Amino acid sequence: MERVLMKGNEALAEGAILAGCRGFFGYPITPSSEIAEYMARKMPKIGGVFVQAESELAAINMVYGGASTGARVMTASSSPGLSLKQEGISFISEAELPCLIVNVSRGGPGLGGIQPAQSDYFQATRGGGHGDYHTIVLAPSGSQEMMDFAMEAFELADKYRIPVMIMAEGTLGNIMEPILMREPVTKFSEKPWATTGCRGRKPNIVNTLHLGNEELESRNHQLFNKYQIIKENEKRADAFLVEDAEIVVVAFGIMSRIVKKAVIEARKKGVKAGLVRPVTLWPFPDEHIRTAAKNARLFLSVEISMGQMIQDIQLALAGRVPVEFYGRIGFTPNPEEILQEIMRLAEREGL
Amino acid sequence: MSKIYNLKREVEKPVRLTGGHRLCAGCGAGVVVSGVLRALDKEDRAVVVNATSCLEVSTFMYPYTAYMDSYIHSAFENSAATCSGVEAAYNALKRRGKVDGAVKFITFAGDGGTYDIGFQSLSGAMERGHDMVYVCYDNEAYMNTGIQRSSSTPRFAGTTTTPIGSVGQGKKQNKKDLTEILVAHNIPYVAQTAPIGNFKDLHTKAYNAIYTEGPCFLNVLSPCPRGWDYPMAKLAEITKLAVDTCVWPLFEVEEGVWHLSYTPKKKLPVEDFLRPQGRFRHMFQKGNEWMIKEAQQYVDQKWERLLEHTSA
Repeated sequence: MERVLMKGNEALAEGAILAGCRGFFGYPITPSSEIAEYMARKMPKIGGVFVQAESELAAINMVYGGASTGARVMTASSSPGLSLKQEGISFISEAELPCLIVNVSRGGPGLGGIQPAQSDYFQATRGGGHGDYHTIVLAPSGSQEMMDFAMEAFELADKYRIPVMIMAEGTLGNIMEPILMREPVTKFSEKPWATTGCRGRKPNIVNTLHLGNEELESRNHQLFNKYQIIKENEKRADAFLVEDAEIVVVAFGIMSRIVKKAVIEARKKGVKAGLVRPVTLWPFPDEHIRTAAKNARLFLSVEISMGQMIQDIQLALAGRVPVEFYGRIGFTPNPEEILQEIMRLAEREGL
Repeated sequence: MSKIYNLKREVEKPVRLTGGHRLCAGCGAGVVVSGVLRALDKEDRAVVVNATSCLEVSTFMYPYTAYMDSYIHSAFENSAATCSGVEAAYNALKRRGKVDGAVKFITFAGDGGTYDIGFQSLSGAMERGHDMVYVCYDNEAYMNTGIQRSSSTPRFAGTTTTPIGSVGQGKKQNKKDLTEILVAHNIPYVAQTAPIGNFKDLHTKAYNAIYTEGPCFLNVLSPCPRGWDYPMAKLAEITKLAVDTCVWPLFEVEEGVWHLSYTPKKKLPVEDFLRPQGRFRHMFQKGNEWMIKEAQQYVDQKWERLLEHTSA
């Protein structure tokens, strides 16, 4: 396989193309714009569609339209842009249309800044818009995973008829790393529900309106049941040195790589530290958290936010082990300060 | 305006957009904004509303501001709505006798924030009839996020999302005629202008817009050396060429009556405007002569139509 140096945003775009994505509907916003720019260059050459919309609302609704036909389509934006897309994401979730939505995230609330951040965790994992729904959320940690997760996202989306979100901090969009180029996907699942022209068959209908009481309730039950199946099958996390860990640090995305270094340093100093890195943010890998809690005296959630994932860790542990938090926003915590925090907690707990 | 325009006298007024802002050297936006604000009478105060844009991130790096007047920014798509709210609040305070003196409401937004994502809130504000001026500084692409196309980008222009290559040859669509769309809102004053010469056209139209009651709209051409790819010292030259080739005609529509503000002594061929700009470089390659021809045809058609309006 070919080894190439690529920017995370470009790796993601190329991954989507390799996965058969032939429709990109975008609207520029820092730090995600390179995805749209890459697609603008690439799509016309491969017979795909690149449309630059006049707004985020337009872009997500183009995805809604494109996904209705069963085509592999996507959009990419960054935090304030994702806020604008929420109405569309709610509709797409209800209509059960597979697609990829990328958030190359930055700090908020409000205008915030353009520094990398993870403070859209709640928005991403709790549905984000109105109504009872979830999207699958994948959190890559490097350029290779930007490509690989884009490819996996389309598979998951088709498998469950669900929008899949990739949440990558702005850092991941903009750093360059060597990656192994993947082979293009050639096998696609049938989509008998898609609106592809109904000559010779019954028309397919894409609809999100359910005015009847029973109809609305049963519709929500159907979605809920699907979400249960996804929770059973798709939780993913990486564990590092958790077997005997007394302090378990939890971090996702770029943060997990930074924490890993701190964990290694803590081990050198005799502190039994470990790392759980959620790969899926929804469904949250609560079982991986509980497994890592075997010898744990303490959990530490490290986030580029004021503390959001910590709630999912607390839910997973249900009070069995205390959970501490270390986070910054505007800055990305570095290995030294995380190590310092681990050592401070170890000393406090007499570990 | 009662007094005859005199640039020297105008620039002696206290500045309202101070130096030290972070706009690029050779950027048209700074010239446009200071030119518009200069039209305010010295004793009048203004509320400057700004959409997300190069202008916003360069002139208002909170807590630093380049404005001597009040300033408000909220998001990209809603500057006209924000201005509507501020104007409505001011009127409420005025009714209760809690504010005095003239306050003028001026919105600045780029073409992205006006032609595209901000269009809905602009149209709403104009229709409701708020006493405000909406100024679009039109640099014909999303310069702030890295030069992506907008619906104001002219046909054939290369941007990062309308790249020049083996398949694409720049933007496929013509520029949206926003000024005419605003005329269709039947508002008291609409004008198209550009910072050329001694800025008299810009100044006069800004003055008319600010001191005409009700919603007024200015569309101001604002060249961008980064996005248009020309040497930054050529700002004045490029702007003048846009006007003299009739690519960007100067006109105003007062209570539905069209006036032509400027007729070039000699209408220059459109390629004089295109040639100095990197975004049109591919149009001068062998085999692409048709592009220049079609660009010229388009400009001629638009110009003829404008003359029909203004001579009616």
